[in-house]
Amino acid sequence: MNDETKKKINERYERELNKGEHFWPDSIFKDLVVSLGIFILLIVLATFVGISPEAKADPSDTSYIPRPEWYFLFLFKFLALYGQIPLLGKIEWIATVAIPGIAIGVLTLLPFIDKSPNRYYGKRVLPISIMAIMVTGIVLLTLLSEVPTVSEDGSKLLGILQAIAGLAIPVITMILLFLMSFVFKHTTTRVMVWTTSLAAVSMILVSGTALALRPKPVVEEIEIAVTLVDQIFAGQDLYSIHCTECHGDDGSVAEIKGVEGLEGEKITPINSHDVLYTITDSAMYEVIAYGRPNAGMTPFGKAYGGELTKSEIDYIVVYMRYMWDDRFEIPAEALKPLFPPLADGEVPSYEVHIQPIVKRYCVSCHREGKTNNKYLMTSYEEILTTGDNVASNIIAGDENSSLLQVIQEHEIMNPEKPDEVLIGVMPPNRALKPNIVDVFIRWIMNGMPQTAIDAAALFVAPTPEATATP
Amino acid sequence: MWKKAFEWLDERLGLKDIYTNLLDRPEPTGNWWNTLGSASMFLFVLQGLTGILLTVYYTPSPDHAYDSVQYIMEGVAFGWLIRGIHHWGATLMVIVVFIHLLRVFVTASFKFPRELTWLIGIGLFLATLGMGFTGYLLPWNQKAYWATTVGTQIAGSVPFIGEFILKVLRGGPELSALTLQRFFSAHIWMLPAVLAGLMSIHLFLIIKHGESHFPTKED
Repeated sequence: MNDETKKKINERYERELNKGEHFWPDSIFKDLVVSLGIFILLIVLATFVGISPEAKADPSDTSYIPRPEWYFLFLFKFLALYGQIPLLGKIEWIATVAIPGIAIGVLTLLPFIDKSPNRYYGKRVLPISIMAIMVTGIVLLTLLSEVPTVSEDGSKLLGILQAIAGLAIPVITMILLFLMSFVFKHTTTRVMVWTTSLAAVSMILVSGTALALRPKPVVEEIEIAVTLVDQIFAGQDLYSIHCTECHGDDGSVAEIKGVEGLEGEKITPINSHDVLYTITDSAMYEVIAYGRPNAGMTPFGKAYGGELTKSEIDYIVVYMRYMWDDRFEIPAEALKPLFPPLADGEVPSYEVHIQPIVKRYCVSCHREGKTNNKYLMTSYEEILTTGDNVASNIIAGDENSSLLQVIQEHEIMNPEKPDEVLIGVMPPNRALKPNIVDVFIRWIMNGMPQTAIDAAALFVAPTPEATATP
Repeated sequence: MWKKAFEWLDERLGLKDIYTNLLDRPEPTGNWWNTLGSASMFLFVLQGLTGILLTVYYTPSPDHAYDSVQYIMEGVAFGWLIRGIHHWGATLMVIVVFIHLLRVFVTASFKFPRELTWLIGIGLFLATLGMGFTGYLLPWNQKAYWATTVGTQIAGSVPFIGEFILKVLRGGPELSALTLQRFFSAHIWMLPAVLAGLMSIHLFLIIKHGESHFPTKED
């Protein structure tokens, strides 16, 4: 750029300044309005949208589908589409490093590449058109980031559509624009603008088709306990399923009963001061995650082949601390009763009463993969219809139902061999509290209603005489 | 009394000069597109303030990062608001800085005499992305952990020196406590220092050359 052009530019700027405005207050006013607007927008977003809770990082959880930050999604999608190209697609670094590197390099050196002093839009159709195509592409690739390139039935239609919208049209358009600028120099501005607009519209249309054809995304609900009370509840549920079998519902078991392979094993009660005062949270975490294989405790953490994620083990530790460690004060809301107490004549239902009790005391053993005479208790149907002894287990209105007998500490003997125990007392570790046994008796005697509405229909109001007697 | 105090300060600080040179300076007629730069700066300051408040409770270690963030959300008074603003502010900052870049590109404001302002601006844009990338890992949740795993993997695919870059970013072959520590350091010390330094030069250049005018057929 020669000195004359520079002088011309400076003079032109002086003219603009003379008919312009002042930084204070003209510009500052607009700046403040926009900043204030942004501030209010952020407060609204923080208050009403918030931040969706996420589970703790778990390096062992290889099933988690990794996704980058939203503003890198387009690059991620670009990589996926690029990978579909035969041969060239195998050379990963071209897409991950070379192309983004060249793009950033060109952007950085822009003032030295585009050296003409022309600033008016009409004189800069090529750069503006290319940028328009790029930005449209970036926005569309971001929107398409959720769409798979191969459908579940193996059809590659979605991948092809995306490749057309995200790779083919932009590349062809850019080549055309370059040709128009440098080879066919007579091309008018109007033609270039039309080419760009048509390309952008067709990119949007093809992307829209891909979006419309995409399979419905499976929304996976992951429960994340945020508050302490939620964590205690989550820990309690997990404890009931995974730990009750050996340690009992309150952690007091000192000798394991009724667990195959560990029968009679002596263990330290995990609700004791000895354990709670000397083992830190992280040590407790490790014991649950890694187990105590030599003492018969299997690993529970996913990292060691168990079923529990990091967050889940944390919840169990929180539950144990707040429930049994007398140095921690459990929040009052976390102590809500397992089921609402029954009034005289009230009939319990599966939904409201039996399900929470079964979850707390029974499911630890009575689920898939445990020794339990094939009796599963994870749903209403299972409770009524599974098990080797299903015929005599639950009989509506019969107080001799096996289930009622064993929870009242009466073993069921094998009718063919009178000294053999067919079903031992349940739970093996410790008898259920009388009010829980009462719930089971009332439930079976009244025909095992499933929902609260069914149970309410069976409600028999007690006669005034009956309630009058203390 | 006030007048005297002002005169005393003016003698030492040159308040009147600041007014005439900085605030009262003439500018070409602008419009709302001119506010994007100051909006970016406002977001930077806001991110700085909320970020400083967050470090009061945040602990950059894999054992405590997640719980400390949880505590900020649940236990600290208005912690949810501070983190909420920081979280959404990051998203908005990337968007605003990018639109600012596009605006400068479309009006060709990067041309003589503002080439250097553009170069510094690209540096600011990349540093902003870096802030987003490093800050994303800090809550140490599943999303953060795996996003950083793939992000660093992409950086590791550079031919020849990829493995070295990966090691520098992660502090070892795998994501670990070291990764979290150095992302934290980059997020609260290195990148903000780079941003603040580049921003000062950017602002100096803007005051030196003035805001560009919107081009007309003459340009």
